[in-house]
Formats: sequence, structure tokens, C-alpha cells
Amino acid sequence: MAIFIILRAAFGYVFLVLIVRIVGRRPGKQLTPFEFVLVFYLGGLTLTGMVGMEVSLTNAITQILTVAFCHYVLAFARYKSDKVAQLLDGIPLILLEKNNWRSETLSRMRIQDDDVMDMAREQGIKDLSGIKSAVLEAFGEITIVPNKSKGGK
Amino acid sequence: MSAQPFTTPVEDSVPKTNDELAIGENLDFQRKWWRFERIIWIFFAVILLCDLLGLFGRGWLAKAERSTPDNGLILKYERIERASTPSIMTLDFGPAAIQGGRIQVFVSNSIVMPLGAQRIAPQPQQSSVGNGGITYTFAATQSPAAVQIALEPSFPGLHSFRVQVVGRQPIDANIFVVP
Repeated sequence: MAIFIILRAAFGYVFLVLIVRIVGRRPGKQLTPFEFVLVFYLGGLTLTGMVGMEVSLTNAITQILTVAFCHYVLAFARYKSDKVAQLLDGIPLILLEKNNWRSETLSRMRIQDDDVMDMAREQGIKDLSGIKSAVLEAFGEITIVPNKSKGGK
Repeated sequence: MSAQPFTTPVEDSVPKTNDELAIGENLDFQRKWWRFERIIWIFFAVILLCDLLGLFGRGWLAKAERSTPDNGLILKYERIERASTPSIMTLDFGPAAIQGGRIQVFVSNSIVMPLGAQRIAPQPQQSSVGNGGITYTFAATQSPAAVQIALEPSFPGLHSFRVQVVGRQPIDANIFVVP
């Protein structure tokens, strides 16, 4: 039935959004090979259940339009409501400020001091004392604010 | 319409942390989210465990067996099936089912339509439709004798069916098909 085609596509989209949000963000500007596997494998497995035996062009177009519509609705809700944006994207989290690590955030987000220092080195910062604050952005990157008085640029 | 762009003045709309960085950090929300994550990981583990046990079909809890009081018909099937996934329903016949060198077995239409009977082995000598189902006739010598029906359900939901050796007590059962 046509309704099941649409429901399957919508469920697959919402389920993947949830899973990707739950699996969490890892620091870094690019996908690691580990994350590549996750993205492609999740996509492939979802496709099997969404399409099944019904491989007509009509089904494909219907499901693509359903996913596009779901995406539009979520993007609109995200734009209209800060709470929805927080739920969908997460929020930036401070990892280091005033020479203190936010230990709860580090452990819960499974981030080590090495990950912060990796990003700091990219900005020419030599050691942790050159960092004024470090922020884990919602999209996974770590932003470093240099401590200008101590070795930061 | 004018070619002038619509503009609004920039305000300090993103909350600052320690009056320095405009980050908009919300630790209350984040702690709630971490709690939700812990619960959802437990939920995922429970789902996987249920799946391993067969609560969603193809496992120990899904397998079922029913028989008639005279053991003329023993039905082995999966009480929980997955949509568009093949499975086998086995009908074992006792001596009471064989009459005059043949077995006549009735299966309700629901075996064919929502439960998606793909084939029956061995091929029946004869099949006739009526009374809300199909009656198959097989040549038979003596017990044990078995017939297998390959199922591939199309529609999720609860489906009732009946299997009966003609002239004997029927077996009525349900199969729940998960999406």
C-alpha cells in the first residue's frame, strides 16, 4: 500500500536522525574512517528496510519526496524553536576555561585532553597554557580561543 | 518591491558565558540529554535482547507447536513472523490423518493472502477451493508424513488461520507479523 511506502520512508528518516544524534559527535574537522563506516553502513541498512522488494521508480520518487518533506518540516521547526534546535543539533559545550577542565563534559563526551591539544596545535599554540578556552561545537569541531598573554597568537 | 535589502540591527541574542564568549551553553539541557542518552542505550540493549530471544520473530520465543487431541495433525509454525521474510510452516500427520491412502487437509484463505503462502511441498495431487480456504489432497502411505508450506507475509498485523485434516478437529491459531 502507498501509505506504507511513505510511512517507511518517514520512519527511516526520523530513526536515522535520532540514531546519529545519539551516537554522538566526535571532535575533528573531517570524518574519520571509523565514522565513514558508520555513515555508509547505517545508510545501506536503512535502505534495505525502506525499499524492500518494491523497487519501482514511483516508489523511489515517493520516498525521496517524503524524506525531503520530513527534512523541510524539521528544518522549519528548528528555525522557529530554539528547543527543537537544541534537540536536533545539540549545543556547544565548554571543555576548558580559566585553566580548568570541565571534567564532566569531557568524560560524558568521551573527549581527551589530547583532542583539545590537537586543535590547539593547528593554531600554533604550543601547550595547554596557551588556551584561554576550548569549546566543543554542536557540529563536532573544537574551537580554541587563544590566551594571548601566554604563548597564544 | 524595492531593491533595498530588509535588515535588522545585530543584538546580543546568544547568551554569554562568564561575560566573555557568546556560546549559548545550557548545561541543564545537556545534563537532561545525557540522562536521556543513558536511558535510550538501555532501551536499545533491551530491544536487541528481545530480538535475540525471538520476540520479533525468527527466534526461540517465536516458535510454536499445536496439535489435535488425536495427534492426527501436529502444526509447527512461527507465532511471530517478519514481513517479507520467508519462513516454513510444517504439518506433521499422524496415523489418524491418513484415510484410504490419502490425506486431505484444509487451510484457510488467510494462509494464502496475508500470510503469503509461496509454495507447498510436496505438490498436492489435487486442490480445491471453497469454504473460505483451500483443500489439498496428498497421496500417503503411512505415518510419519509431513507437508511444508513456505510463507512470506506481506502485511503486518495479527492474522488468524485454520488448518484441519478434513473430518477431524481443526487447529485455529494466530500469527503476528511485525513490520
